[in-house]
Amino acid sequence: MGIYTALNTASSGLTAERTRLDVIADNLANVDTTRTPEGGPFRRSRVVFRPRVSQPYWRSPFLPKYLENQIGRGVRIVDIQKDYMSKPRLVWDPTHPDAIKTGPQKGYVEYPNVNVVSEMVDMISASRAYEANVTIINGAKSMFLKALEVGR
Amino acid sequence: MYYTPAFEKNLNMLQKSLDASLLRYNVIANNIANSETPNFKRSVVNFEAQLKRALDAEKVKPSFPGKLKFKRGVSFFTPKTYRDVEPKVVLDYLTTAKNNGNNVDIDEEMMNAVSTQLQYQTMLQAVNSEFMRLNMVLR
Repeated sequence: MGIYTALNTASSGLTAERTRLDVIADNLANVDTTRTPEGGPFRRSRVVFRPRVSQPYWRSPFLPKYLENQIGRGVRIVDIQKDYMSKPRLVWDPTHPDAIKTGPQKGYVEYPNVNVVSEMVDMISASRAYEANVTIINGAKSMFLKALEVGR
Repeated sequence: MYYTPAFEKNLNMLQKSLDASLLRYNVIANNIANSETPNFKRSVVNFEAQLKRALDAEKVKPSFPGKLKFKRGVSFFTPKTYRDVEPKVVLDYLTTAKNNGNNVDIDEEMMNAVSTQLQYQTMLQAVNSEFMRLNMVLR
């Protein structure tokens, strides 16, 4: 455990939350995109987080030494997933060039499955988490500056 | 001579507490960095209670230290001192606060971070004043 552990941990949080914010911005920018290279409307993306050091969830007297009494090293982005589970939003607009031509849904346009309200809520939560990490970095900085003055 | 066992003990305990609060600060930083991670459980650091127990145990003399001996004169009794106290990271794995299995309460963590920071600075002040007194004697 060095003095930079807190800074590294908090900066991993900064990276993760900034990526989350970027992904939300991408989702919001593409809220009306009906045409994509892979076909169909735009799908919303999500960021998947994981702790950088996985935590042991079990208790055992035979737990290896390197797993116990260890502190985490921050957060890590494992994946940016496209959401293919939720259905696209259907809007009736037969003159639209991307309207469905055949079938029972003829005349409807498939809009992305981006929910603007939930994206805004996610955005606020991401920026608050970002600010929390910034506060941690500032606190660590002031702690180390104080520690440098010992014996002056 | 000023360099007495009390001075050494004070400095040692301050050093241990400084280490413990730095560890606690790192753990809080990790909790906050992972405040949005699904299934993450927060950790806490145990130190002060163990230190107090060790300091209390130093005051109590064992009733019959000679009785607690092995045949060949090896004492079973090892007094627990403040030197043996190590900060311990404990996983709070029993509670759940959010729907995604995460139990980090960001307000609580921020408050803990600020109080840990203040504690760290207070103990640095104490270290400073120890050395200031030493300087005064040397002058």
